[in-house]
Amino acid sequence: MTYSYLFKYIIIGDTGVGKSCLLLQFTDKRFQPVHDLTIGVEFGARMVNIDGKQIKLQIWDTAGQESFRSITRSYYRGAAGALLVYDITRRETFNHLTSWLEDARQHSSSNMVIMLIGNKSDLESRRDVKREEGEAFAREHGLIFMETSAKTACNVEEAFINTAKEIYRKIQQGLFDVHNEANGIKIGPQQSISTSAGPGACQRNIRDTGSDSGCC
Amino acid sequence: MVPALFFFRGISLRVHQRAGRWDDGRQEPKSAFRAVGEMGSSGLAGCSVVPACAPEGPGWLQRHLLSGEFDQLRNFTIFESNFVQVTRFGEVANKVTMGVAASSPALELPDLLLLAGPTKEDGCPQLLGLFPLQFVQLFIHDESRQQLKVKFCTGRAFYLQLRAPAETRALEFSKWVRLLYRLRFHGQGAVPFTQEEWGDEDWDEETDLEDQERDWRDQLQAREARLDPQTSELWGL
Repeated sequence: MTYSYLFKYIIIGDTGVGKSCLLLQFTDKRFQPVHDLTIGVEFGARMVNIDGKQIKLQIWDTAGQESFRSITRSYYRGAAGALLVYDITRRETFNHLTSWLEDARQHSSSNMVIMLIGNKSDLESRRDVKREEGEAFAREHGLIFMETSAKTACNVEEAFINTAKEIYRKIQQGLFDVHNEANGIKIGPQQSISTSAGPGACQRNIRDTGSDSGCC
Repeated sequence: MVPALFFFRGISLRVHQRAGRWDDGRQEPKSAFRAVGEMGSSGLAGCSVVPACAPEGPGWLQRHLLSGEFDQLRNFTIFESNFVQVTRFGEVANKVTMGVAASSPALELPDLLLLAGPTKEDGCPQLLGLFPLQFVQLFIHDESRQQLKVKFCTGRAFYLQLRAPAETRALEFSKWVRLLYRLRFHGQGAVPFTQEEWGDEDWDEETDLEDQERDWRDQLQAREARLDPQTSELWGL
């Protein structure tokens, strides 16, 4: 299938926060409660429609375990978007965000869009990190923020798609050089820059989903 | 230290291979990977490389990566074959292409395992996973049926049966056997072996390595007691 752009995403965060489950929910629309530890990278892909343009999301689901951390860093390069995930029921996964963020900033493009995700929002009774804390962290570090549940699919679509919208917005503003592969963006096959969005292109009518369904 | 994973840019000459056979029809994985390692900084020194447009052309996985969606992986030299995933008892499941690659020309041996398969929707190639070989063990599961066992350090394991034309299948499988031998015994001063010997060796080795793997898994579980590894639903293996 043709597409206007391909965006490379990485999913990072502590082990057990639900990175692979988020990907599975997004690509296959299903939830698997028990998942194998990820080693290396597992890939997922899905087409989304942003402002009438088909965009292919190529998603790199990385290992969260500390033992694989040095290897995970090598996958950051050339990512246009990152989903930085913590578990709202485990305070330590929130405390480690700074370390993950440092890695992401150090090993990827400065323009990379980072979506902070507080996952497992269905487990409200076990909540250990307030939503406001996630919002404050995101505000402080210039991230987008959402709480999601890979189990109920709440906000999962929105998290991936809103990240794509922000990348697309940056392309329109000329902040991303789409010809520089290091930015994690590729123009689709048989697409010329004239048919793709660029600086000055219409910035309205971004559709597909709202900014937050409010289900979490 | 950041691994050299994405720093291999291949230069203008590539070693290409199709379905487990190196382009010149003579080289085995051992020498081919050595050729990669011997490129050195000039990319030419003492290596037996062939142009990318060699008659046999690249394999299915290599062609997929060359299509350009995976920039960082585009210029990897891949030794690959097509398989079907089978159960331990040989029942057929999914089509899988498995390859190994050296992420750097400085490496004497491959350090990455790649798995790919057709998409459910249209059968187009899809890269499923990229795994450092240091966390994967490969075994000969059933030599007579040309079956390999792939085992991750997390305990996940699956079986792959070579899918190739009857006239080339044995040769192709023997290249995997040679590769596994190289991966297993590299640097240990082991002498060359025959495939008949491998059968016994494999069993012993597998037992030993299963012990190692158990230790590995114990360590992982001690750290991550919450998680109970099962199959990866992401790619159905």
